Amino acid sequence: MSQFLCHDFKTPRTDTSRRLPGSMRLVPVMFYVVCLATGFFIFKDMRGMKEAEKQRLEAVKEKEEIAGELTKLDEEKLKIENELYRAQSVAKWMEGSRVMQPITVAIARTMPLETNITELSLERSPDLPSQISLLVRMINATVAEVPKIESAVNRLHYRTHSGQQAKQGDQVEYRSMLVWQDQ
Amino acid sequence: MWDDIKSVLTFAAFRPDADDPELAWLKRSEGRKSLLLNISRSQVSWRSFNRRGKLDQAGMHDGDLADVASQRGEEWRSLTEGGWCVVSLNNRFIISLENGLMRADNLNHLLRTNPRSVLGPKYDRGKRYALYHHTDTTASMLLACEDSMVKVTEDVLRGIGLKPGRICCGLFAMMEYSIRSIAESSRGQAPGSYLLIAACEGSIAALAQQDGQWRDLRCRSGLGAEGVETALQIVSPLVAKAPPGTPVFFVSDGQDASFRTTLMEQLERVGARDLTQEDLLWKVIGEH
Repeated sequence: MSQFLCHDFKTPRTDTSRRLPGSMRLVPVMFYVVCLATGFFIFKDMRGMKEAEKQRLEAVKEKEEIAGELTKLDEEKLKIENELYRAQSVAKWMEGSRVMQPITVAIARTMPLETNITELSLERSPDLPSQISLLVRMINATVAEVPKIESAVNRLHYRTHSGQQAKQGDQVEYRSMLVWQDQ
Repeated sequence: MWDDIKSVLTFAAFRPDADDPELAWLKRSEGRKSLLLNISRSQVSWRSFNRRGKLDQAGMHDGDLADVASQRGEEWRSLTEGGWCVVSLNNRFIISLENGLMRADNLNHLLRTNPRSVLGPKYDRGKRYALYHHTDTTASMLLACEDSMVKVTEDVLRGIGLKPGRICCGLFAMMEYSIRSIAESSRGQAPGSYLLIAACEGSIAALAQQDGQWRDLRCRSGLGAEGVETALQIVSPLVAKAPPGTPVFFVSDGQDASFRTTLMEQLERVGARDLTQEDLLWKVIGEH
């Protein structure tokens, strides 16, 4: 009885087109699948974008914090460098500032017995502590004493610069700049 | 263009066309309400199918189709979705027995589009046709309905916004259905004899089969509920001619129960079996 189909004698329509084949159902199915997939990806991307924006803001904040810390560190570094520079200057000055007593002793020992040292002045340069301005005034001395003084000073690892000697009667004056020769 | 796209996206373009005569009505109207009309000479009765494909509201109105349609048009439209309806014509038709008619797979299509190629000289351009073939012999039942009646019916229904998805003859459909039922119930047995009497809203047809051959067919349309006597006059010769013991089957549908009762009372005397089922007409034209 399933195959029974009631007859039909209505006027046939001429304005009808053929029904679409069943396989064409794939078209709307694919349309909805694509719509759903698009929606899914849009939703996913929106979430991803929001997450990325959040991460970007966090990164910017972190960057600002780090930049702040960096500035602080730079300031500290600058301070330390200043301190270091000062310390180095002090250390250099300290290093350069040799004890002057041996110079006086060495100079005194070079003098013959008849020669008197009337004035011995050792003046350290405040900026360059390794440089000492030497002034020796002697009575009953000859200019031959000057090389003795220079060799005595050389033995103490000083070099003489711009040595000047002057003789007025039996008074000899010797001026020189002593520079410490670092080993 | 937009409607085409919409119909594809809503899958409506893939659903059976309500106009497609190659499909059962229930398949065509799947998921939507539809209306079934039975148009007699002076009466129109109707039933509706709900969206679940179950018979729903019923009604009947006395009068000519044009008059009834003008009064009931709005109600009928409310019982359909898209205005599609099935029409059973119960007037101005004749059913006859023919022999040796063409049988082909696309017979129904040919009958609609080029009936002359099927019927040959029997074709009358003022008629619409339907055929039902005997499964074992060359005999066929030929229904011829007035073409003008079909056209007028289509025009009237179109005028009230209804679209006939199927126009058929309820009595002929009941005959087809009953013959198939009887054939199925006696499958495997030798071709037998029987007398089948079908009545539908005052139209009657009687078919006599002897030894597996259709011998006689008598039909009268548009008798009306008062035509019991005439109906008996049509049936009586066939009953009288039938060999004793021939089973008599009776199927009927209609608003007037007295017609059926009176006719059945007469037929019970010859041992007739009532094959009538509830809403048979509506089920035959609306489900198949």
